[in-house]
Amino acid sequence: MSGVPAAALVDVPDGGVLAVEVDGVEIALVRDGDDVYAVRNECSHAAIPLSEGDVEGCEIECWLHGSRFDVRTGKAINLPATQPIATYPTTVEGDTVMVDLSFHRS
Amino acid sequence: MSNLADSLELSPVVSHLHPEGSFDLADHPVPTGLEEVWRFTPLKRLRGLHEDTPLDGDGLKIEADVAAGVTAVSVPVGDSARGLSGYVPVDRVSARAWDASRSVFEVTIPRDTIVDEPTTIRLHGTGLDHAAAGHLLVRAGQFSKAVVVVDYEGSATWAENIEIVLEDGAQLTFVTVQDWNDDSVHVVHQHARVGRDAELLHVAVSLGGDVVRASTGADYRGTGGSVELLGVYFADEGQHIEHRLFVDHTAPRTKSNVEYKGALQGQGAHTVWIGNVLIRKEAEGILTYESNDNLVLTDGAKADSVPNLEIETGEIEGAGHASTTGRFDDEHLFYLQSRGIAEEEARRLVVHGFFNDIIRRIGVPALQERLVASIEEELAAHVGRIQ
Repeated sequence: MSGVPAAALVDVPDGGVLAVEVDGVEIALVRDGDDVYAVRNECSHAAIPLSEGDVEGCEIECWLHGSRFDVRTGKAINLPATQPIATYPTTVEGDTVMVDLSFHRS
Repeated sequence: MSNLADSLELSPVVSHLHPEGSFDLADHPVPTGLEEVWRFTPLKRLRGLHEDTPLDGDGLKIEADVAAGVTAVSVPVGDSARGLSGYVPVDRVSARAWDASRSVFEVTIPRDTIVDEPTTIRLHGTGLDHAAAGHLLVRAGQFSKAVVVVDYEGSATWAENIEIVLEDGAQLTFVTVQDWNDDSVHVVHQHARVGRDAELLHVAVSLGGDVVRASTGADYRGTGGSVELLGVYFADEGQHIEHRLFVDHTAPRTKSNVEYKGALQGQGAHTVWIGNVLIRKEAEGILTYESNDNLVLTDGAKADSVPNLEIETGEIEGAGHASTTGRFDDEHLFYLQSRGIAEEEARRLVVHGFFNDIIRRIGVPALQERLVASIEEELAAHVGRIQ
């Protein structure tokens, strides 16, 4: 996997979210214990940054209208969002989170 | 007599449909995107027009093809009649463009002048590096009749204010054609003031650009004024085309008719239409209708359409609005196919029929032909070319 360094692992709060920009793409990094997930940092409903919302396990919630997304698959869990958000593969190398932008599911 | 004066309710109306304008930039904070008037606009793609990007570029070439009897000149702001339409900037982009403009391009049709030939103003953008601002003022004198076309092309980041003034009895057709390259950003505010018994036909054609946000407003100086706002737009992959209309019925027995039709194709194509009408207390006996139709040609495109009517008096002739967003009507296609027309050809016919309803009313033959050809060109991408 060809990853790009996105953030230091310590900067991504466990059970929380960190907004980063990698190669011009705005990404929300979500950490659940040892796992870090990367999703596009924009709600598919009203274009709000998801990084301003709450994280619960592997779900991130948009603060404005309450749409929730599964950060593992990008799937919209509840309305008003219906479309998934893009997700990107991540790896942790040492203490750096790498994100692979070349491969995304949406 | 004084009783009568007291009973006229001319006090300002408070509503979100017509934000209080201001020339002072401090009254227009940087929008966050959550405001009602900005929530559909992708602020990140405005290249800072809504923030503090300097508007000092000079990358726009203006060429004017002026009909006999009409004058078109660029005059320094200090010598211009800027503000004649009563327009006051209603948002930050407009206020910044007002501040940054150094000159005003004035098109004047003298009173009693009747010209058939259109006056065409071409703005050609030559680059995206520097954002720029401009101001256009079109004045139609009493009982004049003329056609003014503004044609945008090339690449630019362009903030603009346009004022249109129709004196009593004037008839003006004003057309804007957004034929930008796919990388342009254009935010424009237009305001028309319509005199007694004057008639404005305003046509907005939006085909190109990365982000186009055009706000058009009109109000009336006297009774009998009529405003027809027509629009045709075609959004492709990734394009954002937004039209915001506001007709302010400020005088009795005035008319307005708003009709916008658009088609969308490709991933991320987004159109927004906001149609606002305010009928003030003094605007008795008015007639208004607004409608918007969107034809979604492919998956992945999104059309937002919001008509609003605010009515302060019930003593009117009529007020209504309508909005539709849909895909091809299978019955139309089936009918055409049952008459021996191939599916692809049938799809093209349906789209042309949809737009021609508006295009045929522009009344400028050369422009009408050009628009039909442009729509044909747009359709080639997804529906197929003429065989």
